Amino acid sequence: MTEPRGALTGLLIIETAERPAGEQTGRLLAELGAEVIKVERPGGAPTRRMGPFRDGHSAVFEFFNMGKKSVVIDLADSSGRARLAALLARAHALIDDHDEQWAAAHGLAPEEVAASHPHLVHCAITPFGQGAPADWQKSRPLNVIAAGGWAYHSPSETPPEKPPLKGAGRFLPDYESAIDAALCVLASLHRQRHGKGGQFIDLSEVEVQVNRIDCVLDRMLAGEAEPGPERTAYDMGGPGTSFACADGHVYVFMTTKAHWLGLRALMGDPAWSHDFRDDWLEFDCTRDNVARFRAGFADWIARQPKHAITEAAQKAGIAMVPVNTAADLPQHGQFIHRGFFQSLDHPKFGPLAYPTSSYTFSKTPIRVPAAAPKLGAHDPEMAHD
Amino acid sequence: MIDTSRGGPLAGIRVLELTKVWAGPYAGKLLAHLGAEVIKVESMTNLDEMRAYGGVDIDAAPYFLSINQEIRSVQVNMKTPEGLALVKRMVAEADIVIDNIRPGAMERSGLDYASLCRIKPDIIQVSIKMWGTDGPLGYQTGYAPCFAALSGLTALVGHEGETPKGMNIRYGDSSAGAAAALAAVAALHHREATGEGQFIDLSAVETMTSLVGDSLFAYSLTGHVPEADGNFHPEMCPHGAYPCAGTEWLSIAVATDGEWQALTRILAPQLGEEERFATLASRLAHRHALDEVLGRHTRRHAAAPLAERLRQSGVPAFRCQSSLDLCSDEYLWGRGGYRMVSDHRTGSRPIIGPAWRMQPDEAKVERGAPLLGEDNAYVYRDILGLTQPEIDDLVARKVID
Repeated sequence: MTEPRGALTGLLIIETAERPAGEQTGRLLAELGAEVIKVERPGGAPTRRMGPFRDGHSAVFEFFNMGKKSVVIDLADSSGRARLAALLARAHALIDDHDEQWAAAHGLAPEEVAASHPHLVHCAITPFGQGAPADWQKSRPLNVIAAGGWAYHSPSETPPEKPPLKGAGRFLPDYESAIDAALCVLASLHRQRHGKGGQFIDLSEVEVQVNRIDCVLDRMLAGEAEPGPERTAYDMGGPGTSFACADGHVYVFMTTKAHWLGLRALMGDPAWSHDFRDDWLEFDCTRDNVARFRAGFADWIARQPKHAITEAAQKAGIAMVPVNTAADLPQHGQFIHRGFFQSLDHPKFGPLAYPTSSYTFSKTPIRVPAAAPKLGAHDPEMAHD
Repeated sequence: MIDTSRGGPLAGIRVLELTKVWAGPYAGKLLAHLGAEVIKVESMTNLDEMRAYGGVDIDAAPYFLSINQEIRSVQVNMKTPEGLALVKRMVAEADIVIDNIRPGAMERSGLDYASLCRIKPDIIQVSIKMWGTDGPLGYQTGYAPCFAALSGLTALVGHEGETPKGMNIRYGDSSAGAAAALAAVAALHHREATGEGQFIDLSAVETMTSLVGDSLFAYSLTGHVPEADGNFHPEMCPHGAYPCAGTEWLSIAVATDGEWQALTRILAPQLGEEERFATLASRLAHRHALDEVLGRHTRRHAAAPLAERLRQSGVPAFRCQSSLDLCSDEYLWGRGGYRMVSDHRTGSRPIIGPAWRMQPDEAKVERGAPLLGEDNAYVYRDILGLTQPEIDDLVARKVID
């Protein structure tokens, strides 16, 4: 049986990246069908040593590197760099995420790569983009999300004495950067297909963070809204937030009279709810009313089960949803229908649920071709090239 | 003909946008910033709400101007059969169609993928919906903060021990748009290789899910359900945001004992002597006490100079930037992270530029968001080949409105 064709079948990507930002870029391309060869230093990529672990296998490495090949090359010595050059000569693109100093010391300076491989698309992902002060480029994901503004403004309504947050998990800015990096690489490879040669792509992780808030922040840049030191500067107001329920959490979003009347009925028309005018969300949505609503609602929702009550809410046209956890999603009907999790036989642990991406392709299905490679698993086959 | 004068890697690609609000227009913006010619189908009878928010002038609405740079605007009333027929003629001249309108609307207008294929066999269609186009919940519509809650992302964001509040309420729409742009360009490669177009069905909820893939996979691997954990990091300590003078906060991420020693030398040498903070394991064991004591020291400093001293000693640190910090960020202005584009009312306007630079052949981004119908003549005359009397007649009968 021939393998189903992926959207990127036929493209060869070399990944010298060693952080989640670059590794996720390669992963996005691999699940779309590209052949991605990961170049690992002797001893393996640093992500192999990031927990959590199961029997010595890193969840971080196994996720970000599924579907790739692994070769071990020491870019600190010239014979290693020669081996990389041989790979680059037949590759379409190179993905790197080291700072300029490291790149220059390991033969990956943009001018050097372009001179030796003018056909190549070379993408370098760095915290602040090429040319930033060297010490800025040592930033970790926490520093990137802080520099880009999302930390300061998350969650909504954070009181001034609570710290800004790193985002969901440890790598939220890396995931966002990877989308733009993969987009740029594919756009540039489209240009390459038309015989126009390679390009160097200089991607700034912080600028990705800033771009994602364009329609809020740009109004401030343009003087149409006032920027300020408030933690709430990105907020929208209104009663929407998360609440604890009997067995987890729910999120409620309300903006209209219909939302409110629907919710009031769902709660069984409690006496306190009649202190609110029917159209309070539109015309009387004061801070006091929001606080009073939340107090009454919190008391009621605390006794309700997460899934049953949100299902009833949806049927009544109320935007109340479960705050799903990692345990909810693999058994969620919609995720199953769309095949978001793909089961793959891990060589050691047997079948595991691998998360994929948010798009389905009618002709070239997203496919996780294999679990993450063992260190140097593909050294023998590369030796024959 | 396609306008390729801006250059860039997607020069020569034409995108038709049937989009509203944020996610769909953001996808169009990213493609336009890469050089594609992006035409937004608009009409007075079915206006993008972003042209109305924040102002009364639909040609100068701040939200709309903040997203739609280098987009072309054509007016068509799709509620008329003639208007719909014109949109189909535009489809025949396009490579990619992007929509984020409510479930069922494209089908009712005869703009579902099967119909588009009859017009242009190799068309690429990208549809952005809350849950995708089908499945048990495919009928639902909703709001970005609900998507984040459903996705698994919100559950992972919150101060330790508290109800997880999630990212800021604005998070999510633009990420879905970015994922849509990526998928569209991936499909271009398949078309180049095989001649085949295809249908891409994007779930905005799953876009949020895809941003926490490693956490979900960790659950699959270990059986441990990850939770909102403040700024906890299992392999770095201290790792968090620490209060500084006034309303400022400083992010500090320490991975090694060497970085820890450097931090104490600058902030509080006596901490370097404390046994309970000597190793990563012991710092993690006492991390709440550590955060508390560090905060007492950082509070005495302004964030930016302290960050600079820490970084120069090898400790990754950066100020948590407020909207005011961001707007006055000289580095972003200097690098083109912010830049000026044309503006019909005031001559020029600052925008947030693309997050990338390219060498050679970067796409020019110079033109601000379009007036409603600014490109009517270009689309109807130059692309569809209508005569001026034909166009005038369509305007008079409000097919072009």
